[in-house]
Amino acid sequence: MTRVWSRLALAGAAALMVAGCESAPVDDAKSGDGEGTIELAEFPDRPYWGDTHLHTDNSVDAFGFGVRLGPEEALRFARGEEVTATTGAQAKLARPLDFLVIADHSDGLGATRRLYDAPRLRVVAQGDDTLLRWYDMMHESPEQSQLAIAELITAAANDELPAALADPERQKEATTEIWGAQLDLLDRYNEPGTFTAFAGFEWTLMPDGNNLHRVVMFRDGSARTRQVLPFPGLSTTAEQLWDYMVAYEESTGGKVLAIPHNSNLSNGLMFELTMPDGSPMTAEYAAKRAAAEPVVEVTQIKGDSETHPFLSPNDEMAGFGVKGWELGNLPLTAKTDDSMLAGNYIREALKRGLSLEQQLGVNPYAFGMIGSTDSHTALATGDEDNFWGKHTGNEQANTERANQAQNLGTREGRFGWHYLAGGYAAAWARGNTRAEIFDAFQRREVYATTGPRMSVRVFGGFDFEEADWDNDWVRKGYTSGVPMGGELTDSGEAPRFMISALKDPDGANLDRVQVVKGWIDASGELQEQVYDVAWSDPEERLMTGDGLFPVGDTVNREDATYTNDIGAAELRTVWTDPDYEEGQRAFYYVRVIEIPTPRWTLFDAARFGITLSEDAMANAVAQERAYTSPIWLKPRA
Amino acid sequence: MTLPGWTREPLVHFLVGGALLFVLFAWTGGNAVDPSSRLIAVDRAQQAQLALQFERTMSRPPTDAEIDAAIAQFVRDEVLYREALRLGLDRGDAVVRRRLVAKMDMTASAAAETAVPEEPTLRAYFKENRARYSGATSVSFDQLYFKSEAAARRALATGVVAGDPISLPARMEAAAPGEIEARFGETFTRALAGIAANGEWAGPIRSGFGWHIARVSAREGVEPDFETLAPRIANDWRSAQIAERKRRAYQVLREGYRVEIDR
Repeated sequence: MTRVWSRLALAGAAALMVAGCESAPVDDAKSGDGEGTIELAEFPDRPYWGDTHLHTDNSVDAFGFGVRLGPEEALRFARGEEVTATTGAQAKLARPLDFLVIADHSDGLGATRRLYDAPRLRVVAQGDDTLLRWYDMMHESPEQSQLAIAELITAAANDELPAALADPERQKEATTEIWGAQLDLLDRYNEPGTFTAFAGFEWTLMPDGNNLHRVVMFRDGSARTRQVLPFPGLSTTAEQLWDYMVAYEESTGGKVLAIPHNSNLSNGLMFELTMPDGSPMTAEYAAKRAAAEPVVEVTQIKGDSETHPFLSPNDEMAGFGVKGWELGNLPLTAKTDDSMLAGNYIREALKRGLSLEQQLGVNPYAFGMIGSTDSHTALATGDEDNFWGKHTGNEQANTERANQAQNLGTREGRFGWHYLAGGYAAAWARGNTRAEIFDAFQRREVYATTGPRMSVRVFGGFDFEEADWDNDWVRKGYTSGVPMGGELTDSGEAPRFMISALKDPDGANLDRVQVVKGWIDASGELQEQVYDVAWSDPEERLMTGDGLFPVGDTVNREDATYTNDIGAAELRTVWTDPDYEEGQRAFYYVRVIEIPTPRWTLFDAARFGITLSEDAMANAVAQERAYTSPIWLKPRA
Repeated sequence: MTLPGWTREPLVHFLVGGALLFVLFAWTGGNAVDPSSRLIAVDRAQQAQLALQFERTMSRPPTDAEIDAAIAQFVRDEVLYREALRLGLDRGDAVVRRRLVAKMDMTASAAAETAVPEEPTLRAYFKENRARYSGATSVSFDQLYFKSEAAARRALATGVVAGDPISLPARMEAAAPGEIEARFGETFTRALAGIAANGEWAGPIRSGFGWHIARVSAREGVEPDFETLAPRIANDWRSAQIAERKRRAYQVLREGYRVEIDR
């Protein structure tokens, strides 16, 4: 025994022989917004790929679920370095990302880690039985720890968190320390022109478990972001968050935006037609929201929020990533009924925005669209063949994860196969800096994909023609039209759209390109229509009364492979709205559909030799997609 | 898994750390307290520590009665802790084991996380790992795209005129491999590396989009520049330090053991 202890002491001694520390020096270019640091292209010339929604061990839930990787590993992984995942496997992203927002929960930043590391006496002394029970569960086993966190999320949803976790004042010292360290780290990893590291956090308002979460993303480096702390979500309101953002911008001269997500789990609350208290929405409220939230996250691991078959019965491609998530709110403590769906899905919100704009003069829901992961593993993986799980309890080591019940708390209702592999955000920017990418978000020149990296371009205008493809069409797009996210003023002519969708260079071919139009008709009713505007093999695949002939399916269900024998490398068209009517208030966004490919569940089945449940198998092949930000058509003043 | 209650006692956790220090002092010739000894000395410093701990958790100093109780508790825990070690109860307990392992690793790496290296250190690291930073070779090339391999061959044979339309850059100037890969994909980037930089059309080469012919006008190794790369080098150095410290601390310990593995 003595021998063992003296050996341990030796390690202690070895560890003590280390250099002294001081704060790391960072040059101004890296601690700022990156303006003036690199040469910029004349027009945005390629989409930059990123994840705006990644959790590390500083997130209360992620730590409890088991992640032991922090922000530094997350940054290294995103920029292409190999890291050791929490459960021990080596992980490296085949294609690095261009930018990353670390979005740890502002509530109780680092709290579970501190709780876990605390002596039990201190937890006992707090006199909170719940906290103590969670503490003990976290120490008992990974399974118990996950259960404890599920309880914690439910408690947060029901506003029953122990004071030690819920009270921001009691968290302040730790938050200041963690936030400061993170900002230094982000500056160290931010490399204008190569890799952009954004400061951010997740704000998690969740009344009765109805998800109203936002990711908050800063344009600035630590010189400005250090002047604030992440804003707590559990006991605040969205308006207070926007006030916090405005105050940040006014006091620092910086810029910040918020990105609502998982509206699919909000039970109708995310995109209401009224104020949160049910009174009529005011123009002031709408303007505040529009200014703070230019972009929405449409797809991620916890489902897809574009639209639902109930809302879009004539859209044959609706229903991607809704199974399981349409059942109820985040902790599944309240069921979702059909009347709530309109407030849950983004296409409907875009439509509601038109209607509100007509009444109020300002559109609160005029947002661009992005995808992200919401991974709680510190690993920003969005590809189907590389799914690391929503949290570390589900990293690849858990071979049965696709079949297992996965719901937080109850373990009923949702299964592993309901989870998506994640999505990514693409930003059309003139260069890879904080300023350029943030500004692309701000002007909505961004789009979402469910993981694949297809390049999608849309310009709206009135004088585009097919012959433009033979010339410098990008210049034409920018100089005589507007890119995605832009606005057109009614000219009395039908708007035209120059659309190009290029497949992921290392991914599946494209099936079709669609334009989704939403508008208010003459009688004031909200309408929507999905148009197939370009598709592969047009000679073979004819449009019939029932729509377009399906592209086919090359997926081998046994070994999770597919071939690119069908589909197209690029689809492009100049499309004119055939149903235009003068004075119409409308939006148009592009949806790009890939040929069918295996989902992560099928890769799991092939890799681990497991048999998927019947339901999981029926959902093991899907057509991945991209959603662009809309272009709005506004009536002349 | 059920746990003996004592494993959750704070003092077990504390005293593991404490034991480290005791033994460290013993080992360095300091004031020797062997955790296996039968003497439990609660000196003034220890009492102050207990009082401080009380104050931290309760936000007020303890009364005399409370400090007496804390001391009694300390002695009780110490007795049970030592007896538990004597009985070997710390062994075979996954939680105690994992926690100790994690603490050891953390202790070994903690200081490196904030350590600021001197420039010569970084320059030396840069020199040693030059290969890692000089991997990038920039390429300047033109390319034409064809939907079929036959069309690409025909274009090569007959003298190039034009390819099929696609939204890919026709020319890239001094592009890094990562940039080429982001736009053209992995297959193309690998194939492009096989084309001589002589300014002549060559191919066909494959990409995820179809077929291409390409002419490479220049290929230059990007000379890694310390000044530009300094922040990244510092990050890499720090990561390497953390790994190295864990490895070294482990190595020191590992050398004290003989490991036999039946195969």
